[in-house]
Amino acid sequence: MTSPAHDDQPTAQPDPRESLALLEAERSRTARALEPDVRLVYGVWGVAWLVGFLALWSSATGTGPLVLPGPVAGGVFGGLLLLAVVVTGVHISRRVSGVVGTTSTQGAMYGWAWLLGFGGVGALTASVAMAGASPEVLGVLSPALSGLVVGLLYLAGGTLWQDRAQYSLGVWILGTSAAGALAGYPTNYLVMGLLGGGGFLVAALVVALHHRTPR
Amino acid sequence: MTAVDEVPELDPLIHAPARLRLVASLAALEDGDRISFPRLQKLQDLTAGNLGAHLRKLEDAGYVDVEKTHRGRTPVTYVCLSPRGRQALADHTAALRALLEPVTRTSADREVSR
Repeated sequence: MTSPAHDDQPTAQPDPRESLALLEAERSRTARALEPDVRLVYGVWGVAWLVGFLALWSSATGTGPLVLPGPVAGGVFGGLLLLAVVVTGVHISRRVSGVVGTTSTQGAMYGWAWLLGFGGVGALTASVAMAGASPEVLGVLSPALSGLVVGLLYLAGGTLWQDRAQYSLGVWILGTSAAGALAGYPTNYLVMGLLGGGGFLVAALVVALHHRTPR
Repeated sequence: MTAVDEVPELDPLIHAPARLRLVASLAALEDGDRISFPRLQKLQDLTAGNLGAHLRKLEDAGYVDVEKTHRGRTPVTYVCLSPRGRQALADHTAALRALLEPVTRTSADREVSR
């Protein structure tokens, strides 16, 4: 064994190699415990979009695996989105609980951006409905507007936290929403479900695989 | 600041495994963030008494900043690594790395300078 040059070192002290390993392990363990697990967040939203939009598409076209009466399909869609909101909210607030300062201010401002964005989507959709838009127009407009907000906020989040996966997901969601809207009603539901929901699930998988590679 | 040719010393205050873990954990916080005592206790899996004792030692050395405040009526304590604590951890890490390099120019220089 090579003994270090410091012969004045007390023998009871922990091994430097172990100390360094402990230090690094503890630092990354804490960092992981304090930041939201995006695999869970993307996974929940992926399932909600995939199943919810497929239910809408099936009930509108009478084809596919999830043919349900219109209101029931709407309920499934709304319920899944609500579930995803609750899971995301509870998960993030648990992860960041007890930490205050720069990060929590940043997180709160970013969280409000989502709330305000979807407030805007709701108001716009309602105003168009009041102006006499048909269910077909609303069926195209509402998912496209939502996708626009989601995509832009992921671009913002990816920029803010220098997260390439999140930024790429934002680009994908923007593209999917545009493609869906151009495909028209009710094919847009199919596009949003398969490509949008699928995009979330792929993002979750990419992050999961990236996490597993040894650092 | 330490002189260039000086091998950094191991910091006895940080070197004890429990405090090494604690300081490493606090170093994972972003700059400008503080963590509440209960959350830190849960992360570190220490008793309140143990954590309090370690924090007091680190606070006495100026390595951590402890802020006692109130959230509503309940008192809350927030903790973060001070700039001095961050520096101490960086020096300690450098010292550990230096110990792992058997032959270094710096140790030879040190013998000459003594």
